[in-house]
Amino acid sequence: MTIPFTQSDWNAVIPAFIPAITALVVLLADLVARTHVKRYVAIVLGVIGALVAGVFVAKQYGHPYDAFFGGFLTGGFTTVFEEIVLAALAGSLVLYGAIGREDRIAGVVALMSWSATGALLMAGAANLMTIFLGLELLSLALYCLCGLADRASARESALKYLVLSSTASAFLLFGMGLLFGATGSVMLKDFVNPALSANPLFWMGSCMFFIGIAFKLSLVPFHTWSPDVYEGAPIPVTAFMSVATKAGVLAVFARLIYAALPVGIGSKLLLPVWIIAAISMIVGNVGMLAQRDLKRLLAYSGIAQVGYILTALAGMTSQGLRYAIYYLAAYTFMNLGAFAVAAVISAQTPGREEAGSALSVYEGLGHRRPVLAAAMTLFLLALAGLPPTAGFLGKILILAASANAGYAWLAAFLVAGTAISLYAYAKVVRVMYGASFDPSRLLREPQDPQDNKNEGAPQDDKRTVVPLAWVSVGVCAIALIVMAFYPLAPSGVLPLVR
Amino acid sequence: MLLTLILLPLIAGALLFLLPRTDTQISKAIGTLVAAATVVLAYLTRTDEVRIHWLSRPFDAAFHFGATPVSFWIVLLLAITTFSAIIGTNVREQRNMIALILLLESSMLAVFLARDLLVFALGWDLMLLPVFFTLVHWGEHPETAWRYFLYNFAGGLTLLFATAAFGVINGSTDVIGGNAHIVGSWAPWIFFGFAFAFLVKTPVWPFHTWMPATYAGTPAPMVSVVSAVQSKAGLYGFIVICATFLPDYMKQYAGWFIALGAISLIYGAVVALVQNDVKRIVAYSSLSHLGLILVAIFSFNAIALQGAVIYIVAHGFFSAALFLLIGYIEQREGTRTLSQLGGLGYVNPKLAGALCIAALAALGLPGLGGFVGEIVILTGVFKAGLIWATIVALIPIVIAAAYMLRLFQGIMNGPEVPGLPQRSDLTFIEGLAIAPLLTALVLIGIGGLR
Repeated sequence: MTIPFTQSDWNAVIPAFIPAITALVVLLADLVARTHVKRYVAIVLGVIGALVAGVFVAKQYGHPYDAFFGGFLTGGFTTVFEEIVLAALAGSLVLYGAIGREDRIAGVVALMSWSATGALLMAGAANLMTIFLGLELLSLALYCLCGLADRASARESALKYLVLSSTASAFLLFGMGLLFGATGSVMLKDFVNPALSANPLFWMGSCMFFIGIAFKLSLVPFHTWSPDVYEGAPIPVTAFMSVATKAGVLAVFARLIYAALPVGIGSKLLLPVWIIAAISMIVGNVGMLAQRDLKRLLAYSGIAQVGYILTALAGMTSQGLRYAIYYLAAYTFMNLGAFAVAAVISAQTPGREEAGSALSVYEGLGHRRPVLAAAMTLFLLALAGLPPTAGFLGKILILAASANAGYAWLAAFLVAGTAISLYAYAKVVRVMYGASFDPSRLLREPQDPQDNKNEGAPQDDKRTVVPLAWVSVGVCAIALIVMAFYPLAPSGVLPLVR
Repeated sequence: MLLTLILLPLIAGALLFLLPRTDTQISKAIGTLVAAATVVLAYLTRTDEVRIHWLSRPFDAAFHFGATPVSFWIVLLLAITTFSAIIGTNVREQRNMIALILLLESSMLAVFLARDLLVFALGWDLMLLPVFFTLVHWGEHPETAWRYFLYNFAGGLTLLFATAAFGVINGSTDVIGGNAHIVGSWAPWIFFGFAFAFLVKTPVWPFHTWMPATYAGTPAPMVSVVSAVQSKAGLYGFIVICATFLPDYMKQYAGWFIALGAISLIYGAVVALVQNDVKRIVAYSSLSHLGLILVAIFSFNAIALQGAVIYIVAHGFFSAALFLLIGYIEQREGTRTLSQLGGLGYVNPKLAGALCIAALAALGLPGLGGFVGEIVILTGVFKAGLIWATIVALIPIVIAAAYMLRLFQGIMNGPEVPGLPQRSDLTFIEGLAIAPLLTALVLIGIGGLR
């Protein structure tokens, strides 16, 4: 029997395999490394793996290739999403290095790398099998990661994520089955057939598929899991989950709507998706207002931010895709940055891994840690879409794209949603810079007894890896400002979607 | 050189944060020098233009800066008021305050020098942040910061939306100072997007509710710059953006805007008459004066427009002077409630004299800046055939005399209130802060703007 694949096919998926192999190397290295260097070994190997994969991905840019008979596409579109996932991976690993427990670090690095492998596969997936493979690989690792912390809320988080995400997968799988039934093919490119627009199986199948996607993107009304899951998961995991999952699923969604819909039915079939996006922008931003926990706040913020990105995609113009990618990249940096600040705070609060997630910890941060507070302010401004950050330019580009594509009503929802969100983001800023800061209040702050369980546990030298988390903060901040003035929206992405 | 003008306060402001937190004198010295440099630069760069490419898709945009005949005067006003504000600053955490004023100056320079709508929008959002931080940190009530922030950023968002739509339709936002013209089904939305932002920022009744609390709650140096210059951004926007690119809609809805302006005129004046907080008197008088400028802009008369520009600058100088002087009084006496002040003029003749000139300029005494603006506006509005608007605009001028004299007499004249500290007169530095403002008022009063 001959293997029908050539060297080029394998080359296309090498970037996806590098993190997977790195994970194995990290686990092996952890066995032989001495206790006090375990942390450094795991983190350094993991980050190097992500960086090497990034180099390989970058090499593929502009060289489109249909690997495995069109099962995995490389080139512009895939490259960009893969780089975003890898940036999220590197950023989150660094954060775990700063606050994670020494005995778990190798496992976490491995799981996160495998999860990233799944997201990388989704970025290039062009048939239903690869999509599902990638999605499950991404999710399975995340279920474990969510339950890592020694808290009841972490177990709740993991279980909730497992149950609800599996439900979403079931929808997705059912939809895929119907799509296969309608087309007789698992290849996305076979969906372009105009005859399909009269086939009820195809409509059913795509609706199921989109419901699954909406679950994974936590769009309203399928959003209720995300605040709870984000709250329970450790900060670095939340950071990774909030960016990588979105990047992977959005890649699938964008490829599907841009390259795999029968001609002429796009605006009708996708209308519910845009409506869901509009509602998400409002509900997500309103949901933020009442939150007292940074992770929950960012979860709701994520719901709305996905709505913004979908606004850019509405109308399916090439411009829209470019700005969606630009905004997603900007979102990666602002979100990672905010979590990085939270991680730095947690790392320097003895005994409480999740200290950086309660908003009360930020009280008076502007007086105590001016640089950290300034960085956090920058990330919040970016999330709110204010200058001098990439968030501002991203918003205006999305507005222009959607006005151009004839979806001005979505743009109006974006403006309204942003107006609501300002209060929530500014609330955090005010907590940090308010004049009424009283240091003794920090001590009086009531604590959840379960969250405090390891208060008395012996502390390892967490501070040592904090500089790396600082690097993460700095890189994100610089990237946001640079992107505001040099819009790095890659050109010529659309032809490479197919 | 133009870029130096914009970047100098930005960089200096950012670098000030590196100084020790308790520093007061070094940051003040640096701030004063930088502000003085911007005055000189603003004058020297009145014909300069810089253009750095930014976006080519979805529309052309560039960091394109250059003073227009209108903005040159406002930029000069901004530089001078910033100088005055910084040299006279005396608040807690002075380093931060001076840094924020410099950042505010830089962002407002970007607004008024922008030749590109997108840069205008960028500067517009940026100039709100220093004020927000000031309100958060030094403000008297937390709600004030919210009101300022949410109101003005809602305006900023509609501005952004309008800018994006403008760019898509016109293909370029690099238009300020040119003569692009927007028509079509999108044009009214674009117009209202801009108009809402400008009305909120000015502010005009009924969008003014953030303003009195903000002006009262912000420390004097910052509020003097905000009331003198930031509030003019909306009026400037009407002149250079709406009147140029969307004149049809401006004419179509002019009646409504004139009505809003007239209501602000009367309402501001009447409320100023009964306020007990001195800062609020000046705040409401601003509402009244800016309503007059709005009427002038919407009367579509060349003379009225000229008057509007003169009054924009003159109002900037006298409101900055009033707020700074009130700040000095509050610092000395620990209160700015009118009923608790009185008889300060006997001990503080210099302070009384300065306040007298500023108040007289505000009530429109001939020979000072305010009068020139008012009379040219009234002539223009009358020539435009808006007899009723002219008559309505005359009433608040009478009321202005009443509330300004009430303010001056309540503070400086009358029996000395027992228990007031009655501290010493204006210091040399404080005099140095006020002097350029009053000189400018006299110069405008004699020669107008030329």
